[in-house]
Amino acid sequence: MTENRTIDRRTLLKNLGLVIGGTILLPSCLRSDDTASIRLKHLTISGSQEKLLAEVAETIIPKTNTPGAKDLSLHLFVMKMVDDCYGTADQKSFENGISLLDAEAEKTHDKPFVQCSKSQREALLNSIDTKLQLSKQNKTETAGADTRNDLFAFFEIMKGNTVLGYTNSKYFMTKQVVYELIPGRYNAHFSVTNKSVVKNG
Amino acid sequence: MANLNTRSVSQRSFDAIVVGSGISGGWAAKELTEKGLNTLMLERGRDVRHLVDYPTTNKYPWEFEHRGQVPYDVQQANPVVSRCYAFREDAMHFFVKDQEHPYIQEKPFDWIRGYQVGGKSLLWARQTQRWSDFDFEGPARDGFSVDWPIRYKDLAPWYSYVEKFAGISGNRDGLVNLPDGDFLPGFPLNDVESYFSKFVNKKYPGRNVISARCAHLSEPKDIHLQQGRAQCQQRVLCQRGCPFGGYFSSNASTIPWALKTGKLTLRPHSVVQEIIYDDKQNKATGVRIVDTETKEVIEYYAKIIFVNAAAINSNLILLNSKSARFPNGLGNDSGVLGKYVAFHNYRARISAEYDGFMDWTTDGRNPAGGGYIPRFRNLYKQETDFLRGYAAGFSAHRASEVDYKGVGESLKNNLANRKIGNWRVGSHMMGETIPKETNNVSLDAGKKDAWGVPLLKINIGYDENDEKMVKDYIEQMTDMFTSAGFKNIQANDSKQSPGLDIHEMGGARMGNDPKTSILNKWNQVHECKNVFVTDGACMTSTSTQNPSLTYMALTARAVNYAVEEMKKLNS
Repeated sequence: MTENRTIDRRTLLKNLGLVIGGTILLPSCLRSDDTASIRLKHLTISGSQEKLLAEVAETIIPKTNTPGAKDLSLHLFVMKMVDDCYGTADQKSFENGISLLDAEAEKTHDKPFVQCSKSQREALLNSIDTKLQLSKQNKTETAGADTRNDLFAFFEIMKGNTVLGYTNSKYFMTKQVVYELIPGRYNAHFSVTNKSVVKNG
Repeated sequence: MANLNTRSVSQRSFDAIVVGSGISGGWAAKELTEKGLNTLMLERGRDVRHLVDYPTTNKYPWEFEHRGQVPYDVQQANPVVSRCYAFREDAMHFFVKDQEHPYIQEKPFDWIRGYQVGGKSLLWARQTQRWSDFDFEGPARDGFSVDWPIRYKDLAPWYSYVEKFAGISGNRDGLVNLPDGDFLPGFPLNDVESYFSKFVNKKYPGRNVISARCAHLSEPKDIHLQQGRAQCQQRVLCQRGCPFGGYFSSNASTIPWALKTGKLTLRPHSVVQEIIYDDKQNKATGVRIVDTETKEVIEYYAKIIFVNAAAINSNLILLNSKSARFPNGLGNDSGVLGKYVAFHNYRARISAEYDGFMDWTTDGRNPAGGGYIPRFRNLYKQETDFLRGYAAGFSAHRASEVDYKGVGESLKNNLANRKIGNWRVGSHMMGETIPKETNNVSLDAGKKDAWGVPLLKINIGYDENDEKMVKDYIEQMTDMFTSAGFKNIQANDSKQSPGLDIHEMGGARMGNDPKTSILNKWNQVHECKNVFVTDGACMTSTSTQNPSLTYMALTARAVNYAVEEMKKLNS
């Protein structure tokens, strides 16, 4: 029902700038390594921070035999969402958290995040994730980590939106858990054995 | 100053004027034009043409910039409309933003509006139930408001009439408190909904859980195909406007039908300031509008005027229609205009889980949304310490369980391999509220909007009866859920402000006595017989049904009467 799918994706990319799914992200006017590659209204993200975000997103959703975060430009989607859908306090936490992640990487692995190996990156993020989950369950601080810290706020926003961007990407919704725009049916009594995966929507 | 010379009076004269193009205005236009009347429909907002002006209708989730979320700045700038469940990225453009059309909240009131051709008929929840005499006789039996001047038998044929054209899906359940209609096949209940229905029926005599009746074409008939509408495709993305015309809206149904007669002039961008009353002729002669694009003030004339601006705005227009004869608003000798406004109490919800029927689930989507529990409280006689009662929704679905733990390949795999989770069940209340003089709308003495119309002051709140009803709903549903074996029951009183139910009604109520009501049994202003009000403003009481179907039936009935009367005068 939508015409866009017949347009060659590469042409679209070339003509319209950066495309994630159907969303067009406007390139920023002043492109240099020190600014983000997309136009942001509220966030201040440098070029190197953007590269870090790309690695964080890729660690959350890595490329396997299927596309990963970089293939789907999920870090740009996260930046867009934080810029448009969060308040100032969350945006500040997000910005601060980026440097705190690097500090955490230095502390644990003696090098900045982007220089860590894949397994080091994963270990680092998994440890943050575990602490965050524990603190939510216990509603107390755990293992000496103050999860009110911007590092955790950053990670939560980053992971949440990377996952949102992934599960709502055209790739995921056409190849993994298929979204049906026009189901054309309602079966009220349907055997679970006929439903190997849960359809979205 | 009215610019009366722009077009000649004859060009600005019609047989009938309809103010508003929403669910009732659309019906007024259809009926009037079908009966041969040259009709002008005035809509304050922009035009929304069926199919053409549904920009998001065929979009996939990934095609929305924020995947459905409303940007933070928009939410901050529009706290009222942001509280509406349907105000999402896919339908934002069909809602009035707070700042565009301000009003004065003397008490918190979330006034949700859709200023465009089709009004809120594009956005409504499409639930449609008939009233019965248990509803019409409510005020007389329980001693509140005034007696309805009509009974079920007066409206029954008109319910049938509008149901056949609009297309209402439902089962013939044979309930005295919720009369059957002229239905297309109903949508089925799923296993858990069906289990609960049978359980309640057996364990709680007099209480029923039926398949929700809704304005969807489950199986279109010729009359629907003639409208260019097709079978509902179970998209359940209705708030975007439906490319199939699968649900009823003015845009998909009544307005194109009226346009086809060649008798309808549709004029968007037209804010009606007031109805013009002629003291010599003792009748209304037309309306005065402001064109929102040119700011031009123009008068239009007609023999009859239908006011269908949506409940609160119809009150506003009548209140602002002041003349030597009616210094307090058109037809307001009684002084009740703008008063006795009521709404539906939607505050409470309850949810739970169920571990039966684990081998079964559903597939596709249900446009009806599940089940409906008609009012059972105080039905035959007063039995609680509060007046009236509530209807409720009821639905069950199987949640999908996703393990969001960690990062990396395991997370990626988990996201794609969702497990079918437990059944979740849920219900929400739709309580009748009692119209009171103190729940009212009025005009501000000084402040005016961009179109020179006084700002509306809204003074509407809950009362003790509402509080007791919330408590009773939670108690009764908790009891029913518990005995049905539902687990992890959680009830919640949102304390949401009135208005968010989007079922505001009354202010120009119908009644037998001109001393205590504005409209007679034909929705005709008692003291200005060529003006009819057939939207929510006319409601004497609210009962518990979703009101739109009743507005449609009242409108068709009122047009029929109006045209018969005109014929008598002419013959």
